[in-house]
Parts: sequence; structure tokens; C-alpha cells
Amino acid sequence: MKVPAWVVVKKIVWALAKEIAVPVAVTVVWVPVKVPVLPLAKEAVEDPVKTPVKLLVKDSVPAVVRELAKAPVKPDAQVEHGKLNNYSSFQMIETKDVLIEKTNTWEEGKAKNITFIVTEDCQLQCKYCYLVGKNDLHKMDFETAKKSIDYLLQDRKYFTESSVILDFIGGEPFIEIDLIDQICDYFKIRAYETDHPSFNSYRFSFSTNGLLYNDPKVQKFITKNLSHLSIQITIDGTKEKHNLQRVYPSGKGSYDQVVKNIPLWISQFPNASTKVTISRDDLPYIKDSVLHLWQLGIKEVNINVVFEDVWETGDDAFFEEQLVALADEIITHKYYEQYSCSFFSTHIGFPYKENMNWCGAGKMLAIDHEGNFFPCNRFVNYSLQNREQLVIGNHTDGINQNKLRPFLTLDMFTQSTPECVACEVATGCAWCQGANYDYADSTTIFQRATYLCLMHKARVRANNYFWNKLEKKLQKTLRTLP
Amino acid sequence: MVLKYLLVLLSDSSVSFCYEPTHAKEKHDMISLENLKNTVVFALKNNLKVNFLLPDFTLDASYYACMEEIGHVKIVPFHSHPITDDAIYVIDSNRFPKSEELVNYTQQNFIVKLHKKHLKKWAAFLKILLPCSARINLVLMDLEHYDESDYTIYEKQLEKISNDLIHSPSQNTVPELNFLTDRMDLDQMNNCQAGLQHLTVAPNGKMYLCPAFYREDPSDDLGEIRTDIDIKNARLLELKYAPICRVCDAFHCKRCVYLNKKLTNEINTPSSQQCISAHIERDASRKLLEKLQKIHTQFKWDKSIPQLDYRDPFEIVKGNPQKISEINLTFQK
Repeated sequence: MKVPAWVVVKKIVWALAKEIAVPVAVTVVWVPVKVPVLPLAKEAVEDPVKTPVKLLVKDSVPAVVRELAKAPVKPDAQVEHGKLNNYSSFQMIETKDVLIEKTNTWEEGKAKNITFIVTEDCQLQCKYCYLVGKNDLHKMDFETAKKSIDYLLQDRKYFTESSVILDFIGGEPFIEIDLIDQICDYFKIRAYETDHPSFNSYRFSFSTNGLLYNDPKVQKFITKNLSHLSIQITIDGTKEKHNLQRVYPSGKGSYDQVVKNIPLWISQFPNASTKVTISRDDLPYIKDSVLHLWQLGIKEVNINVVFEDVWETGDDAFFEEQLVALADEIITHKYYEQYSCSFFSTHIGFPYKENMNWCGAGKMLAIDHEGNFFPCNRFVNYSLQNREQLVIGNHTDGINQNKLRPFLTLDMFTQSTPECVACEVATGCAWCQGANYDYADSTTIFQRATYLCLMHKARVRANNYFWNKLEKKLQKTLRTLP
Repeated sequence: MVLKYLLVLLSDSSVSFCYEPTHAKEKHDMISLENLKNTVVFALKNNLKVNFLLPDFTLDASYYACMEEIGHVKIVPFHSHPITDDAIYVIDSNRFPKSEELVNYTQQNFIVKLHKKHLKKWAAFLKILLPCSARINLVLMDLEHYDESDYTIYEKQLEKISNDLIHSPSQNTVPELNFLTDRMDLDQMNNCQAGLQHLTVAPNGKMYLCPAFYREDPSDDLGEIRTDIDIKNARLLELKYAPICRVCDAFHCKRCVYLNKKLTNEINTPSSQQCISAHIERDASRKLLEKLQKIHTQFKWDKSIPQLDYRDPFEIVKGNPQKISEINLTFQK
């Protein structure tokens, strides 16, 4: 039986409302109640000025969710300039932007993010993948996972958060679905037995290539844990763009095998988002890829260019051209009313006012097949090209607090060049702590790689173009410029 | 970097005077006379002072002759060197001298490497050493293994030492103690400054951040002796780029970059043990200063050390980085 999408939405919202009051639940509120119609681009949507989101909320979701919706979404420390002046129709865009731009909404003391690297193997050999050392040798066993959970649940000094996200990553995590199911069950049992606060507030999170999504075992797991799941299938855009990068070892593209699972995924997770990675060869396909993903029904497209040193002269201009073309499409067809793309955000392109780190490494924890602990999976050998992995503890000896100190005191200023600190369009310029560590001139996390500089500036110009044009069209100020 | 002095390890078995463990003397490689001469000439040309680190055996006369070419200090193992004015004596608490061994020492400089197992004896050891000292630098060995019980012992020892000093009949001639009196005189950071003010020349003729970096990994060198040494990410040696230290006022702390690297992986990030031990000392200095001010009301005291409600500045900085404007204000030139 086909279940209308809004029923699933309500179900998830209720489940979330009962258990976890986090901004994830808030975003669900903004999902339109209609079953996605393709192509949505042509769908007439009422003028947002006349139909504020509040009305949609009132008409479509239970009272308890409305209460949740009132809960303020914590603005990013650097959002200040981008306030939307109570123009509620765009709350959707801003809300999502905040979630996208922040590396992890849960990290604000609410949830501990624990990543299980269940395997370092994957069916694909994506050309841009940062996991340079994938292999089929390193697989986690259940004993290692159990010991890790036991340690983490008993160390209340380290694990102070009352919520937890167990993140399963690979390689491709669903290759190890039996193990994952065991781990999730064990966590639930032990969290209950130890009376851990996270028993009432946990989520299981996955980033997957989607190839095994319709596998009966995977589907059984999803059904069993649906109200506690976040699953992100990576699909990179059009077939041409996807197959340019996301290939099998034979070189064959994986688009057809992934896209057939998208309808099932969206029916189970109507608010699903995907993460698109742009490397140098992908630049010509950005606009078409974002539009394509929206047409597939994926309303939230998180997208970023790779951190690696691949960018060449002229790439920034080409990138900017693509983004401007995308901006025009969004504005012409009013895609802004239902969709989001993280390239456009109200709070990028301003000078720094705060000295916060960009990345959450160290606040989260990754665990490898030997039970070693890492600040995130980018510090594990299979992610590193130039440096030895950076271990901060293990399931037997626990966390080495001294090794965590640099991560917990790392700020923007200390790792940046004076030029970056003084940059007039600094906000939104991203970095990856693991990539920084890998590329640094000495063994340190305190040297920020700046390969993205020109690409970021191009993005800022396109972003300005987008917002200025939208403000003109809607006759509203959407950003507060400094 | 404004290089002010050089440390010169004359031998692989030269005395170890800081946090690095005293290694078993597997090697006795000497610096070549040619390298020593080059080092001395380099120092003469660049207005550098030199601290020579000596082993516990007598060197060939040609080495002493070369050393005499330049003004210098000799850092020597206590039991193996005659009494001279240009020497700093390193005492290992495993062989702490008896008072009769110190009888001929007056107004000397000592470095004491105090092992954790001897922490409870520190006040007693110090009583023996005080009368013959001008300055005593304490190095807490095994610091990475310190826990709450050790901190408690250390606090009590410092309290005892402070009381002894106050009630000593010769309190006007109390020597400088890095762990207790230095903080009273300082109003800005006064740390080791390895890589900023001094570098080390090892027996292989290459330069290092400090002797400990050479001993830990001889391949971790900075190249041949020259002034334009390229230290990768050298800014991380500066206080400005040390998020925990730049908000701290335990000014006497060593901020040992070797211990930082070893315990936290980062030269700009101190371990909790470094911070807590320095704050225990800072608080002992505060209490001693307050007592002295009460006793000696005839003097005009212009120093005070504020009481703190933390002993690890990490707790202040964690998740709450210093504002950019504050950093720029503090470090504007």
C-alpha cells in the first residue's frame, strides 16, 4: 500500500516530538504537506508573502509540533549579519541554511556524535573520495563495538550529553548491516541497563552510497528503527555528473543502481537530504545537477567543493558562472519556496566577528576496527595521505584527555593566516580539520589549508547576486549587511 | 625569532637538565671539535650567549680551550664537576646530595630533577640545598603521570616550604626559586622560549628546538647551524598562537614545547599536568606573598597575585575562544 508522504512526515514528527526536541524536528515542520509532484518547478505555489509558513504549520501538523516549531533554532555564531527580518516565508531557507552551514546542529552540547567505522570497504571507487586507503581487511567485530559502547556509556565525565547520534560510516556501512543491527540493539539494551540519559534520546545515522538500500536486511533494519534513523544517500546529480565520479572499480558508473532506490528512500524519509561533492571535473554540471536532485524529490541539497589542492586558474570564474545560472533558475521558477541548496545562504561572505572553529572534530568521536578512538574519521589512516593517524584513546584505556585539549581549544584565529582573519568575505569559508592536518607543513591541526580561497570568493559573489536579486523581486530586505 | 643564546650538547651523554628522561647512556658520541669551533664562531658572530651541556667525564683539553673562546655557562652533573662560578649544577633526586657534600658550595645555581617518588621529600631536600644556593630551578619529572593525589602532595610540600622560608632566620637571603618566588616578580610570561630565543646544537652538529627534541628523535632536526632556520609553523611557538596560554597568568610556567608535543601532539597546547602544576605553584606564590606582606608592613608592596577559581585555564577557553579583538589588543606591537 502506498502511504502518502505527509502521513510518514507526521509519523516521524510525532516520534521525534516524543523523544528528541532538536532542530531536526523543527525542519520537518516546513515540509509541504503535498506529496511531491514532478516536476515541482512547474507547480504553482501561492505567493509566499500572502501565505506565511505559520499558516502551513497550523493547518498541517499537530499542536505539539507547533510548539516545537516555536523553539528557536539556535543561530550560528556567525549568522548575525544574515537575519531575515521576520520574513517568515523564508524561514525555511534560513532554517535549513543554519542546519547545513553548521557542521552538526547536535554538537551544541545536546548530542554526542559517535562514529563507528564498521568497514573500510566499499563497492565503489569514487574518484574524488578522500578515503584514499579503502580496503577489505579492516572490519569491525561485534566485541570491539560492545567494548566501545560499554566504555562510552560508563565515562559520564566525557559523555556529558543527554543525547547521542550513533553514526555508521565506511567505506559503505550497509555492507555490514548485520553487525550494525547488533550494535544498535546492544546500545539500546546497555543504555537502558545503565540508565543512561541517551536511552531516551538517540539516533542512528548513515551516509550510504545507496546501492544496498533496497536489500531486505537493510529494509528490515530501517523498519525496525525508523523513528530513530537519519539516512543520507549520496547521489551526485545528473547521470553524467554522478557517473563521472561515483564509479565501480571497473570504471562503470553507479547512477542507475542508485537512482532506482531514491523513490523508496524518499517515501521513507520525505525530508531526506543528499550531499553533493564537487571536484574540478564536475564544475560544468553544478546547475543541472542541483535541479535534477530537486526533481528527484530531494529537497535539501548539501553541496561543497573538495578541500584538496585541485583548483586551477579560472576554475573560480567557471564556478561562479554555474552558481549565477543556478541562482537565476531558482529565482525565476520560485524554487526557493520549497528547496534549498547550501551554496546559497544568508550568512556567508561577511567579516569574522567570532573566533569559533568551523569543524566539530574532537567534540565527536570515531572508532576504528581495533577500538581506537579518533577526533573524527578523517584522522584515521585510511583517510590520510601524508600523516600518521591521530589516536586519542581506545576502548580499553579510554579517552586521553590531553590529546583532546588541542581540539577543544582550537579556534579560527590560531589556525588561520592573518589574511584569512582579516578577510572581508570570510564567513562561510570552510575547512576540514583532518585535511588541514594531512596537508600542514608540520604535524599539527593548527594550520588551515587555503586551497579553497578563490572558490569561496566566487561563491560569495554568486551568493550576493542571489540574495540581492531575490530581495529586489520580493521587495524585501532579507539580509542585514554590515 | 630573535635568537639570544644557544644550548650546546657536547656529548650524547651530556647532562639532561629538563623534562626529558635521563636516558641510559648507550652512546658517548662527542661533538666534533670542528663542529664545536663552528658553533663558537657562529655564536661570536651573532652576539649569542652559549650554555654548554657537559657529560660526567672529563673532556679533552682542546674542548675546554675552545669553550673558553666565548663567554658561557656550563650546565653540569652535580657529582662530576668542580666548584666554579660559571656552572649550573644539575641534581637528580635519585642521588640527592647529603649536606656534607654541599659544604663548599655558596651562592650557586642548581637545577633539581625531582622524580615523582621523591615528591614527598621535596621540602626536606630543599632545606639541605637552600643555604648554598643563589637560585634553584625545580623540574618535576614524570609530570605526565601526576594525578590528584600527587597534586595534593605537591600543594602540601609548597605550603611547608613557604612556612619554612617565613620562619627561617635568614629570610632576607632566600634564593630565587622558580616554583615559588619567580611568579612574585613577573608581570608577563617568562617561559622556556625554545625556538624563539634559543636553539640547541647537538653532537651531530645539527640544530634542534631543544635537547629533548634531539634525544627523542635525532631525525627531527632543523638543519645545519645558521641564523635563518626554517621552523615549520614557528608561529605556534608564540604565545599569541597558544589558545590556552595566552589567557593564562601563571607567568613562571615553563610552557615546555617538548612536553606539549609529547602529551597533546601540539607544541602550542599544554597538558593538564603542566597547567595544574603551574597553578599550584602560582597559588603557593600568592599565599606566600600575602603572608610576607602581612609580616613586613614596613615595605611598600606593589605586587599582588589575584586568587583564581580554576587551576587549569583550559576550562576557561574550552568552547569559549578568546575574542579576536582581545587577542589583537593584547599582542599589538
